[in-house]
Amino acid sequence: MRTLDGIGSTPRSGVGAARWYRPDADLTLPDRPDPASVDPGAELARYEAARDAVREALRDARDRTAERVGEDEAAVFEAHEGFLDDPTIIDDVEAAIRDGTPAAHAVADRFDGAVAQFEGMEGRMAERADDLRDVRDRLLRALLVGAGEADATSGPDSGESLGSAAARSPPDLGALPEGTVLLAERLTPSDTAALDPDAVAGIATVEGGRTSHAAIIARSLAIPAVVGVGPNLESIATGETLLVDGEAGTVVVDPDETRRAAAVESGPEAVRERVETADGRPVEVAANVGGEAELAPATERGADGIGLFRTEFLFVDREAAPTEHEQFEAVTAALSAFPDDRVVVRTLDVGGDKPVPYLNLPDEPNPFLGRRGIRLSLGEHGDLFGTQLRALLRAAATEHGDGLAVMFPLVTRVEEVERAVATVESVAADLADEGVSHAVPELGAMVETPAAAFLADALAERLDFLSVGTNDLAQYVMAADRGNDAVADHHDPLHPAVLRALDRTTAAVGGTDAWVGMCGEMAGDPALTELLVGLGFDELSMSAVTVPDVKRRAREVDAAAARSLAADAVACETRAEVLDVLGLDQRGA
Amino acid sequence: MERTVTVEPEAGLHARPASKLVQTANRFDAEVSIGRDDDGLVRADSMLSVSGLNVEHGESVRVVAEGPDAEAALDAVCELLTSPVEESPDGAGDDTEDAP
Repeated sequence: MRTLDGIGSTPRSGVGAARWYRPDADLTLPDRPDPASVDPGAELARYEAARDAVREALRDARDRTAERVGEDEAAVFEAHEGFLDDPTIIDDVEAAIRDGTPAAHAVADRFDGAVAQFEGMEGRMAERADDLRDVRDRLLRALLVGAGEADATSGPDSGESLGSAAARSPPDLGALPEGTVLLAERLTPSDTAALDPDAVAGIATVEGGRTSHAAIIARSLAIPAVVGVGPNLESIATGETLLVDGEAGTVVVDPDETRRAAAVESGPEAVRERVETADGRPVEVAANVGGEAELAPATERGADGIGLFRTEFLFVDREAAPTEHEQFEAVTAALSAFPDDRVVVRTLDVGGDKPVPYLNLPDEPNPFLGRRGIRLSLGEHGDLFGTQLRALLRAAATEHGDGLAVMFPLVTRVEEVERAVATVESVAADLADEGVSHAVPELGAMVETPAAAFLADALAERLDFLSVGTNDLAQYVMAADRGNDAVADHHDPLHPAVLRALDRTTAAVGGTDAWVGMCGEMAGDPALTELLVGLGFDELSMSAVTVPDVKRRAREVDAAAARSLAADAVACETRAEVLDVLGLDQRGA
Repeated sequence: MERTVTVEPEAGLHARPASKLVQTANRFDAEVSIGRDDDGLVRADSMLSVSGLNVEHGESVRVVAEGPDAEAALDAVCELLTSPVEESPDGAGDDTEDAP
């Protein structure tokens, strides 16, 4: 047992098997051996095994992408498989191996030749060079890394063959086996967001700080994390058993039984009851839910309802829009899971960045600034909006329908709210004419744009609530694409400009009967709970895993002190000052 | 036997249509080759060779098939080349789950 020191980022512990993530892994080939010393039979077998492993990884990636994103995006993996099993490439590689070239060198030679053929050309031909490089690297990883680490791996989950594990590890962070402790030089925000919190037992990185965006995302996924361990981390081999202690800021190699047991016990125990601050201000801690499978985890972790029910899952990966009945069933299922609580359903929020084939969304140069959210619902997709509202108004009249609330995404204008409310009223009138039982639920708007923050007072006057989507709000306030790691420094909710937009929103709602919530990554970071309570949020909604942590943290907060902290933070002029006020370190920022 | 057809898929013989062509050529007991009218032919079961042709939408290509299943292979390949494949508009790639 030895212990490495770093900076605790997510205050939680986990035990698992180490796995290095090296997106830029060194695939340098060893020196070419004397052809006479090469065993062609063995090398041919290794080549075939590597192809099998890569093919399996490509098919996994294809299926997962088809499921999560779409068939078109998944097609690239079929092209990769085409290159992997290209008969002309296989013939040449096998011929080279028979002449005494090791498999890795033969693969590198042949693919480099093919890359050279496409490189420097334009458009689609250049993309082929990228495809070929990708397939080459997967094969080399299977041939080099797989072989090199065969002895070092004795982790608890070594059921998977190493060759295949190595072939798939770099691009497939979303499919790590359960009980993985991910080690990396650094993780980008998009790397981190791809992780499955149920599979990843912990994260430890060489670089990074507590407030790096990746660390914030890890916290909002409740993945135990220790960052900034330094070069010592490199001494850990893939497969070693590690304990990541995010509270103490340590990584323990080969922890003894006592340490392990303690780590497992400190898991997120649900806080069932609703919570209030130490001085008695209630804080509603709800869960974001993106599909029926997420309902049970949300109730198990003690969420006080659903603060964001994404309806997009009902629309993607299918040939036609869901029927009114399907939508009604999905919403009543959510209401039944939380019979005494509020369930906030967001109306359809798609746009050019989220392709749904049958919606014929326009191909726009900048989808984030284009036809999306309420713009589509009040425009070309008015029919879908009408059907969705019918389902929602009917659900509002069911046994647990009192808790239903409906909110509109990407609002930027008062007229949009007025038109949306008028549409709700006209749907209600239609249902009344038909003699169908229905009720009008609470109505609200998402605050995801600077426009909505500036207009918060006018919006709140016309609605029952506002809910701030911080990921989009930060993106639009800071003019920084949230999926672009190159501007990740800009895309951070702790910039004063974003905090002032939050403050403006909560202050505007404060003078009305409306309530105000937040549903974004920021809401799930217990390190920010005091700030958010101080800003005046009545409700915080987050990924279910962090509900227990945020509930515990909210109980410790003193609302009066939190208000003064929030005022100090809002008065700051730089992010560094904000971090200082919040007592967060600035390393890796 | 051989046939000359005009390539209909918007993407030409790239990306998805190319992999579909390769998969199709592989399915039959036949040697299928493809190329522009005047150029040399390449193996249709090779992604590398097919991509290397750089055939765009609207170009005409010659398809030659030999072997027991030559006719069926030719039919299947030409069917593919002359169907305007449903390549939906490029969805800007990223579909990060929409946390708001």
